[in-house]
Amino acid sequence: MIKRLPITLAALSVLAVSVFPVYWMVVTAFKPTRDIQADTPQFLPLHPTLEHFATAIDSEGFALFWRNSLLVSLGAVLLSLVVALLAAFAVARMRWRGRKAFILMVFIAQMAPWEALLIPMFIIARDTGMLDRLSMLTLIYFMSTLPFTIVTLRGFLAAIPEELEEAAQMDGASRAAAFRKVVLPLLAPGLMSTSLFGFITAWNEFAFANALIIKNQDDRTLPVWLSSFSNVFGTDWGATMAAATLFMLPVLLIFLILQRRVTSGIIAGAVKG
Amino acid sequence: MAPRFLAAAAVLALAAGLTACGSSPTGSTTPEAPAATALTVWIMRDSMSDTLLGTFERDFEAAHQGVTLDVQIQEWDGIGQKVTSALASNDAPDVIEVGNTQVAEYAASGGVKDLTDKVTELQGADWLPGLADPGKIDGKQFGIPWYAANRVVIYNKDLFEKAGVATPPATRDEWIEVTTKLNAGGNQGIYLPGQNWYTLAGFIWDEGGDLALNEGGTWKGGLDTPQALAGIDFYKRLQALGEGPKDSDEANPPQADVFAKGNVAQLISAPGGAVAIEKANPELAGKLGFFPIPGKTADRPGAVFTGGSDLIIPEASRNPDLAYEVIKALAGEKFQTEMAKEMSYVPNRVSLGGVLTSEGAAAMAKGAANGHATPNSANWAAVEAKNVIKEYMTTYLTGADGRAEAARASQVIADILNTKS
Amino acid sequence: MVTQAPERPVAAAAPPPPRRRRGLPALWPYLLVIPTVAGAGYLLFYPLIRSVIISFQHFRTGELIRGGAAFVGLENYHEALGSAEFWAVVRRTLVWTGVNTVLIMVISTLVALMVARLGKRLRLAVLAGLVLTWATPVLAATTIFQWLFQSKLGVVNWLLTSIGLTRFDGYTWFANGTATFAIMVLLVVWQSVPFAALTLYAGLTTIPQELFEAARIDGATAWQVFRDVTFPMLRPLFGLITSLEIIWVFKCFAQIWAISQGGPDGATTTLPVYAYQVAQSLHKYDLGSAISTLTVLILLVVLVPHLRRMYKHEGADQ
Repeated sequence: MIKRLPITLAALSVLAVSVFPVYWMVVTAFKPTRDIQADTPQFLPLHPTLEHFATAIDSEGFALFWRNSLLVSLGAVLLSLVVALLAAFAVARMRWRGRKAFILMVFIAQMAPWEALLIPMFIIARDTGMLDRLSMLTLIYFMSTLPFTIVTLRGFLAAIPEELEEAAQMDGASRAAAFRKVVLPLLAPGLMSTSLFGFITAWNEFAFANALIIKNQDDRTLPVWLSSFSNVFGTDWGATMAAATLFMLPVLLIFLILQRRVTSGIIAGAVKG
Repeated sequence: MAPRFLAAAAVLALAAGLTACGSSPTGSTTPEAPAATALTVWIMRDSMSDTLLGTFERDFEAAHQGVTLDVQIQEWDGIGQKVTSALASNDAPDVIEVGNTQVAEYAASGGVKDLTDKVTELQGADWLPGLADPGKIDGKQFGIPWYAANRVVIYNKDLFEKAGVATPPATRDEWIEVTTKLNAGGNQGIYLPGQNWYTLAGFIWDEGGDLALNEGGTWKGGLDTPQALAGIDFYKRLQALGEGPKDSDEANPPQADVFAKGNVAQLISAPGGAVAIEKANPELAGKLGFFPIPGKTADRPGAVFTGGSDLIIPEASRNPDLAYEVIKALAGEKFQTEMAKEMSYVPNRVSLGGVLTSEGAAAMAKGAANGHATPNSANWAAVEAKNVIKEYMTTYLTGADGRAEAARASQVIADILNTKS
Repeated sequence: MVTQAPERPVAAAAPPPPRRRRGLPALWPYLLVIPTVAGAGYLLFYPLIRSVIISFQHFRTGELIRGGAAFVGLENYHEALGSAEFWAVVRRTLVWTGVNTVLIMVISTLVALMVARLGKRLRLAVLAGLVLTWATPVLAATTIFQWLFQSKLGVVNWLLTSIGLTRFDGYTWFANGTATFAIMVLLVVWQSVPFAALTLYAGLTTIPQELFEAARIDGATAWQVFRDVTFPMLRPLFGLITSLEIIWVFKCFAQIWAISQGGPDGATTTLPVYAYQVAQSLHKYDLGSAISTLTVLILLVVLVPHLRRMYKHEGADQ
């Protein structure tokens, strides 16, 4: 017992460091302003209140921007999953000329300097009539998450023995059916964790959303709005933290619902990454 | 596991479907519908009160059948990038408010409509030069003057009374003395954030220095001159008499909100700032006083930056004629008079100056006698965008080697101003 | 910890699989990667090429609005490479990448080794904590860190003051270059350790226990076990994670822009931030593009050893 004390302490401090900032955000959001401004910080919300959440939700456009962000992010994730699954299958299960080069290109694509593409992307969007459109953002977010999704899904696929599919095919199933019935269920944790990653990336994106949505202000996304926090809430840290909590909410929900599966999914997928 | 996953996929698919149909009504603009023309107008945050804009919107729509106005409030943070994108787009807002230090850059870019032929109709001969000149390039008028303002000191009369200060200070020395007295008992003598560079510019002009100097076609940064160093030294002494954050400007947090809490004795702002203060805390209505920023001697008020805005029509506006109607109304006598009363701004025409009667406007008019402009270069907007002066102020105020920092910042300013565009 | 065991008893029934599938049309793999290639072509390589073209042009606000940019050869590259500021930023970016990557790798290795030794409950708790951190959106994280380090009400200043370091009473972290740099490092390490640690831990679980036992019987110390068993076994994984972290840290933009915009006084201006400033704040899109192109080249040079190894490794796969 004594021997295990140091490692237990180490584990607890890792836990504390990783969780505290998020905890502090949530606690601040629930504290009345008086407690937030107290000289000695209170580590528990002694007088919990929802007023800051009300402030954040009531602020102009919040619900709309939240919806826009959700639509754009989900659209990008779905698109990226489908496209990546096809590519990952080709890479993990088939051998073809150009496969090596393809993998290398996918890896290099992760280095793409996205912020530097703002101006070319602006020009392309303008010349194709895609400025001020959420669908343009969806496409960009799809592309920015695609390389990582391919790399990760390929890792997951490689970890599933090919024999499983073959056995199913011997039982008379077509290759597509074998894939759907055998591989896809096993792939579920992988799909969950990669979509969580893709979702976060799209959910977060600021620079393109800020540059490509110009006149249709109702099409702004949450990060753009969030970036002008201080303009909206001023010194109101309670409302700021409430808005940040609401910003994190979808991720938080997915995390709470799928916690075990996402954790194991990330770990499983990582091995073959 | 499979059914649950499929359910999740179905939800995703459904949501994606929503994206497709959800974005189409808002995503596509409606220029094809001739029934109602929607005009988009960009106004900067806090430049006009909600009531003023609301009244204008109603009046304009009543006077122009089938036109709706969409007034969008823009943030100052990152506005350069935003306006540039708008000018470069092919469906820009129809009217944009731009700061008078930035209008030259946009006008030079070729994306702004030339309004020279409207100058006479708008009585351009009577315009304030501080607004008309920056909007004019090679004899062509791109920016239409809208309003001007300069900074004054807004003070809390209750706190002055409590501290036994009967008359507002008239010289810098008195100002420091009074502010020291006010800065006691939980109250802030003055709320001056560390990056209020327009105020610093005033102090530097008072000493006879400038932000940058043009020597035979080549720019030289002016922050490291003895005059400029004396200016920032005074800023530092004043800034210490309150709890203004050293690493932030007057917009973060909005200084009106800080002042509205009631424990701040003074604030440096355009007189229109009083509107925002009273909106945040109606109890302060009637308790706000104004005086010009004190100068070095009592016979001359402190130097101030003459700020203000111009209005432009982007070349990419789809309704340039109606956009001009908006500008005509905003720059016309009716709106200008109402604006001067409500916001205490200086109207765009000299002959309208008589409508300024409020206490705040009077203080501003006194200060305006010693008004200055930022260095006259199309690149000046880039100096502002890169926060050169703001960051220099923070490093100076937090105790770095002031002289070395000043030299460094001056060099950066010179580099930017000497760039050919 | 990997996925559930397959439900069907496959291995026993199936004959050794043919390495090349029967009757699979040679066209299929190409059809499957078409969407990826098309998407990347339109949304990545085409804009990338436009960006490179801009870097050889005179392309400022006027050209963006009116079009008709003229080619100026290598002028922008001359300007970028000839300025002292650029090289200062390059040095800072390398320091930034080095410090972050080393910290991330060391800390996540320690955390992974620690997690492997924990009891079931505590292990699950730590893993859940790490995933939560990993999943925190960047903008939420930057807002939280600004709140933690706020000068008047920030909990960090309160903590430091209450343990006796009174000079932190009301200390303005974001006014000081070194302090801001340190906070940025802290933030990026905090956000990056979970992915690396979880991945390394996953790798650890795949090493057969017998290897550790054998080493221990030979009387090896913990350090020797790591050096002689764990590290060699996980070398490819270490290589992959290190290179991914280098890419991510090197490219890191949103965090820095949201908190300090590269300031104060350029103390946190790394190459991506610098390129963005030059292009978006100064409207020198041409110079910004040149800097971005140079940024990618530098990153490629840094990663060449890894890319070569990866290419070889894929070759062995075939």
